[in-house]
Amino acid sequence: MLITGIKSRPVYDELTPMATGASHVAAAQGSGGEPLVRLLREMDPDQLSATTVLYSVESFTGKNHLADLQDFAVRELVVFPTNADAVSGLDALLATAKMGTRLYLSGSEGFIGTSMQVATSYGMNRDEVLREHAGSFVRRVWCAHCSHYSENVSRRIFRCPGCARHLIVRDHYSGRLAAFQGVKADGEVPGELPENEELDT
Amino acid sequence: MSEAHHGALHLRVKRIEAVTPEINRYTFSAADGSWLPPFSGGSHIRVLIPFEGETRRNAYSLMSSPYDTSEYQIAVRRVEEGKRGSIAMHRDIREGDVLTATIPANLFPVSKHARHHVFIAGGVGVTPIYAQLDELSLKGSSFELHLAVRGPEHAALGHELRERYGDRVVLYGDGDGTRLNSHEILGGLPLGTHAYVCGPSRMVDDVIGAAHAHGWTDSHIHFERFEDLGSTGDPFSVTLARSGAVVEVSPEQSLLEAVEEAGHKLPYLCRGGACGECETEVLELEGTLDHRDDWLSESDRCTNKLIMPCVSRATCTKLVLNA
Ligand code: FES
Repeated sequence: MLITGIKSRPVYDELTPMATGASHVAAAQGSGGEPLVRLLREMDPDQLSATTVLYSVESFTGKNHLADLQDFAVRELVVFPTNADAVSGLDALLATAKMGTRLYLSGSEGFIGTSMQVATSYGMNRDEVLREHAGSFVRRVWCAHCSHYSENVSRRIFRCPGCARHLIVRDHYSGRLAAFQGVKADGEVPGELPENEELDT
Repeated sequence: MSEAHHGALHLRVKRIEAVTPEINRYTFSAADGSWLPPFSGGSHIRVLIPFEGETRRNAYSLMSSPYDTSEYQIAVRRVEEGKRGSIAMHRDIREGDVLTATIPANLFPVSKHARHHVFIAGGVGVTPIYAQLDELSLKGSSFELHLAVRGPEHAALGHELRERYGDRVVLYGDGDGTRLNSHEILGGLPLGTHAYVCGPSRMVDDVIGAAHAHGWTDSHIHFERFEDLGSTGDPFSVTLARSGAVVEVSPEQSLLEAVEEAGHKLPYLCRGGACGECETEVLELEGTLDHRDDWLSESDRCTNKLIMPCVSRATCTKLVLNA
């Protein structure tokens, strides 16, 4: 079956300070700023001064929480224009980070997924990372035909910018690719597209 | 490859070397001259040692290269107290003798995803690390070893490893007044580092404490205490539903080993609670299961319907398996 209940979709946490950590990195995008503000509010002064915040103002829903984030006495707050820049910023930061670091991620699924790929590449395990989804459930989709990644997909059927095929977004999420899979929508009968719908979950 | 009969291997003692005043190294080959079963770094075997009309079942880490299964090597430290199996190894076993041992099992494997490996050991605790370093150096992985010894005459194994791996091996207590300080060793290490400690409980606790103090999470800390090598615990008996056989599991053998010794077969691969191959259905239970594997989920455990016989045990008056 093409469309099923999403079993492979990641299960998210709620951001809350991980008290055993010696250093903290909190990265968010768009609406993800809100859980981040809540997290920083729960931190004590020592934790705040050991926390680096990375924030991308690129947002699908148009929410910007930068002003609120600037209220906290953190070690450093770095702002990025795009999600891709924030993910590279995270990569550069983790490259020199030490054991004892805790990572907090919040934002769209695509942002959390690609950030998680970076964390995994530095050998971070699930007991060192918390992830909280925020904003709309737009999907990052990987085209099974041309391998193009499309960000912020919100409809069940869309045209792949890579190969111009009509793709149907399957509910299968790959943690490795940090994306949902998109396959040719008129694979059964050429030219006949299944009914389109809003992706809401 | 040498066939394991009822889960047992027959090993001929090829060579015995005294490496320190207390430690002998034994080199074994298969009694029938064939290849021995493969193993990964960190594995141990349990040697059945005849001792004054009884049998001691002592676990020893394999220290030979995992890439050469024509022989196995173990190091045995003579321990006067306790059940004295090591005394019999030193006193009674001669080159040419044949000993029975279990198939290798690994409860102390190296992490596949680590970016850097830090090993900390005391004395004869270095033996599993021998094979682990063989594995890592062939893969080109980054590692360091910190080894504490009780004096220069006890440092022979450490010197051997220094010759192989140079400065990546640091010795403490080798007559130069240095002391192993796990807090210093574990400070400032890069993300993705894994630590492994093998030694007496005191040392293991010290290393775990130091890692936590630096903010490490448990998934990066691996340890093997001398005391709990292998699946040991209170004895219990198990009924195999298909044959109706009742098997007694002694304190020093795993459920899997006991079933094999009684002439029955269960599936297995890792023999260390990691691969899932030996998963067995529990049909009846009066008592509690002692799950020690890394395979079953928390919810599986709670149902008491599944057990991993290679490592897990039970405290029970009745246990019936679908086997
Ligand atoms: S044999 Fe691998 S889990 Fe038991």
